[in-house]
Amino acid sequence: MSLIHFQVLSAALFSIGVYGVLARRSAVMVLLALELMLNAVNVNLIAFAAYGEQVQATGQVIAIFVITVAAAEVGLAMAIILRLFRDRASVDVDEVDLMKW
Amino acid sequence: MSLSLVVFYLLGAVCLGGAVGVVVSRNVVHSALLLLVSLMGVAGLYLLLLAEFLALVQVLIYGGAITIIVLFVIMLTRVQEFRAMKDNPQWPLAVVAALAMFVLLAAAMIKGAPSETTRQSVSFEELGSSLFTQWAVPFEVASLVLLVALIGAIVIAREGGEE
Amino acid sequence: MLFQIETVTNSGVQWAWLAPTLSASAFCAIVVLGRFLPKQGAFLSLLAIMAGFGVFWYVLSEFLSSGGGIFSVDWFTVGESTFSWGIIVDELSVVMLGLVTFVALMVQMYSLGYMKNQEGSFGWYFAVHSLFAAAMLTLVLADNFLLMYIAWELVGACSYLLIGFWYHRRSAAEAAKKAFITTRIGDVGLLIGILLLFNETGTFDITTIFHIAEQGGIGSGTLTAAVLLIFLGAMGKSAQFPLHVWLPDAMEGPTPVSALIHAATMVVAGVFLVARVFPLFVMSDTAMLVVALIGLITALITAAMALVMTDLKRVLAYSTISHLGFMMLALGSFGFTAAIFHLVAHAFAKALLFLGAGSIAHGTGDKRDIREMGGLWKRMPVTSITFGIGLLALGGIPPLSGFFSKDEILVAVLDGRGPLFFVLTLVAALMSALYMARLLFLVVLGNLKTENEHAHESPWVMTVPLIALAVLALGAGLLAPGLIPGYDGFGNWLFFEEPEAYHINFLVMVISVVLSIGGFAIGWALYSRKLLSADRIRERFSGLHRVLVNKYYLDDLYQWVINRVVLAFARFMALFDRIVVNDVGVNGTGRSVFLSAWRLRYLETGKVYNYALVMVVGVVAVALIWWLALPYA
Repeated sequence: MSLIHFQVLSAALFSIGVYGVLARRSAVMVLLALELMLNAVNVNLIAFAAYGEQVQATGQVIAIFVITVAAAEVGLAMAIILRLFRDRASVDVDEVDLMKW
Repeated sequence: MSLSLVVFYLLGAVCLGGAVGVVVSRNVVHSALLLLVSLMGVAGLYLLLLAEFLALVQVLIYGGAITIIVLFVIMLTRVQEFRAMKDNPQWPLAVVAALAMFVLLAAAMIKGAPSETTRQSVSFEELGSSLFTQWAVPFEVASLVLLVALIGAIVIAREGGEE
Repeated sequence: MLFQIETVTNSGVQWAWLAPTLSASAFCAIVVLGRFLPKQGAFLSLLAIMAGFGVFWYVLSEFLSSGGGIFSVDWFTVGESTFSWGIIVDELSVVMLGLVTFVALMVQMYSLGYMKNQEGSFGWYFAVHSLFAAAMLTLVLADNFLLMYIAWELVGACSYLLIGFWYHRRSAAEAAKKAFITTRIGDVGLLIGILLLFNETGTFDITTIFHIAEQGGIGSGTLTAAVLLIFLGAMGKSAQFPLHVWLPDAMEGPTPVSALIHAATMVVAGVFLVARVFPLFVMSDTAMLVVALIGLITALITAAMALVMTDLKRVLAYSTISHLGFMMLALGSFGFTAAIFHLVAHAFAKALLFLGAGSIAHGTGDKRDIREMGGLWKRMPVTSITFGIGLLALGGIPPLSGFFSKDEILVAVLDGRGPLFFVLTLVAALMSALYMARLLFLVVLGNLKTENEHAHESPWVMTVPLIALAVLALGAGLLAPGLIPGYDGFGNWLFFEEPEAYHINFLVMVISVVLSIGGFAIGWALYSRKLLSADRIRERFSGLHRVLVNKYYLDDLYQWVINRVVLAFARFMALFDRIVVNDVGVNGTGRSVFLSAWRLRYLETGKVYNYALVMVVGVVAVALIWWLALPYA
C-alpha cells in the first residue's frame, strides 16, 4: 500500500462526483455529488500529508478547512434549495433557467 | 498482500460502491444514506492514513451534521417528486466527461508519482499547535465564513422574505 | 553679426517677452471680464499694446547699449529631444517688435472711432486684435520653429476671425474661409519643412539648425526641399502668386483690420519668416532663385491688376501684394537689408493708406468705388493730405520713404540678379507709381462730386493715427542713409553677413526717379487732364483689360479645380465612407455580431448542468494541452 493507491482512489471518487454533478436533475442530488468531490480532494490532501518527505500538519489543516467550507456550503445550499422549492414548487434544476435566451 | 492493503481495498470498495450508489440511485433518500456509507469509508481511509483526528471530524460533521441537514431538506420538500426524478438528457456525455477526467487524473498521478516513502503519523499536539499558530488567521477567517454562511442561510430560508 | 547670437542669461532686452504676454493677457481679460467693463474692455487692449510699445523702446535702448541674445527655458522633454521656448532678440526682431506694436497701436486707436457703432461685439473685436498682436509678437520673437509655428497658426486663426468679423454677411464669411484655407495650403508646407529640418537635426532651435547646416550637417537636397517648403508657407501668408487670391477678398473685413493685416501682421509674417531663416535660404541657390522669381511674378501681375480695379480697397490690396512681391524679390536677390527696410517703409505707408481709405468710407457713407470719389480734399483735408502722402510714398517719389526702400531693392536686384530681372522690376515699379497716381487724381484731387457734398472729416481718434503714420511715411526713408553722427544708416545696423553702407548707384537712382515721376505724370495725363483717354486705351486693349479685371481667371481656375477635382473626390470619399466604412465597416460589424448572436444564443440554455459540462470539458482540454504541449510537465 502506497501513495499511488490513495491517489487513484481519490481520482475515481472525484470523477464519480463529476458525473453526479453533470448528470443529475435534482438540486439535492447535485449537492450530494459535490460532497463526493470535496471528499476526494480531502483524501488526496491527507494522503500526501501522511506520505510526505517529512512530517508536517499542513495537509491535515487544509483538509479541516475544506471540511469547514463544505459544511458552510451545504448549509447555504440547502437554504437555497428550500427557498427554491417554496417559490417554484420544484427542485428540478431544469426549471431554474432564468439565464436562458 | 499485507493486512493494511486488504483493509485499503475493502474500504476503497465501500467508498466507491457508496459513491456510485449516490450518483445512480433514483431515490434521493437512498442517495443520502449511501453518501453516508461512502463518507464513512473515507473516514476509514483517514484512519489508514494515521489521521485519527480527521477521521473523527469526518464522522462527526458528515455523519452527524451534513447528512442530517440533507435529510431534513428532503423531508421539508416534496419527497414523492424525488422518487421518480430522472437524470437529465446529457448523462451519456457526463459519463464520457467523467471518464476522461479520471483517466487524465490517474495518468498524471501515476506518471508523476513521488518516490516510495512510509506513512507517518501527525500527532494531535502538532496538528493543534500548527492550527493555532501558523494557521491562526485562516482559522479565524474560516470561522467567519461559517458565521456568514449561517446568517445567510437563515436570511435565505426565512418565511416571507423580501420578495 | 546677425544670426551669430550668444545665449545670454541676464540682460534688459529679455523683457521683450512682456510685449506678447501683455497683449495675450488683455485678450483673456476682455473675453472673461469684458462684459462687466465700460466700453466692453476695449481700453485694456489699447493699454496692453501701448505698454508693448513702451517695452519696445526699453528693449531698443538696452539693445543698443548692451546687445541682444537668446533667452530660453526648457519646455518639455520627449525621449532624447528637449523642447524649449524662448525669445531671440536681434536687430530683426527688434525692428519687427517696434513695427508691430506701433502699427497695432495706431490701428486700435483708430478702431475706437471706426468701430464705435459695433454695439454687441465691440469688446470681442478688440480682444481678437490683442490676440492678433500677441501672436505676431510671439512669431517675431520666437527662437524655435515649434513656438514660431504655434504663433504662425494663431496669426492665421486671428485673421480668419477678423476678416469674417461681419460673419452675418455671406461675402465676409466666404472671404474668411478663403483666406484661412488658402493660407492653410502654405502652412502645411511650412509644417512639413519644419519637420524635415527636425528630422535632420533633431532640434527645433533655429540657431542650432543654422550651426548644423553651416557645418554641412544637412544634405543639400534635403535642405533645398525644406527651405522651399518653408517658402511655401511664406507664400501663403504673404499672398505670393499663386496663393495671392485670398488677400483682395480679405477686404470684406473692417478696414482697420485690413490695415493691420497688410501692414504689421499676417502678410509680413511670410517675409519675416524668409528673413528669419535667411541663412538656410542662401545655402540653396535653387531656393533663392525660386524666391526671386515668385516675388517678381507676383509684383508684376498684381501691379497690373491694381491698375484696373475700381474698388479702392482692392486697389490697395493688389498694391500690397505687389510690394510683398518686391520684398520677396529683394530677399531672393540677397538684398536682406533692402527687403526689411521696404517692409518697414511699406508698413507705415500701407497702414496709412488703409486707415485713410477707412476714413474716406466713414466720411462719405461707405463709398468704395473710386469712380464715385474725387475732390475729397475739399471736405476731408486731414484725411486727404495724409492719404496723399501715403500714395506718394509708395509711388516712390523722393524723398519719401518708398523712394529709398524701392531704390535699395532696385540696386539689390541689379547686383544680385542681373539686367533682365532689373528691367522687369522697373516695369513693376512704373506700374506701382501709375496706380498710385490713379488713386491720387481720382480720389483726392479732381472735382467734388455732388453726391459727396456732405462728406465730413473723421473724429480725432481716427485722424491722429493718420497724422502719426503720415509723419513716418514721410520721414522713415531718411533712416536709410546715415545722416546724423553716430548712426551709419540702416544697412550698417541690420544686415546679413556684412554691413552695407548706404551707397548710391547713380544710374539706378536716376532711372528710379524718372520712372516714379513719369508714372505720376502719366497718371496726371490720364486721369486729371484727360490728355490721354483711359477709355480709349481700355478699348484698344480690351482683351488684356478683361483678363486683368477677371484676375487672370485664377479664381475661376481654382473654382473649377475645386468643383471638378476636389468636390468630385470628396463625393467619391463620401460614398466610400457611406458604403465601405459605414455600411460594411461599422454597421456591418454590428450586424454580423447581432446575426451570429441570434444563432448562438441558443447555446445559452440556462441549464446549470450544461454549463458545468462545458466547464469540465474545458478543464480536461486545458490540462491535456498543458501536459502534451509542454514537454517538461
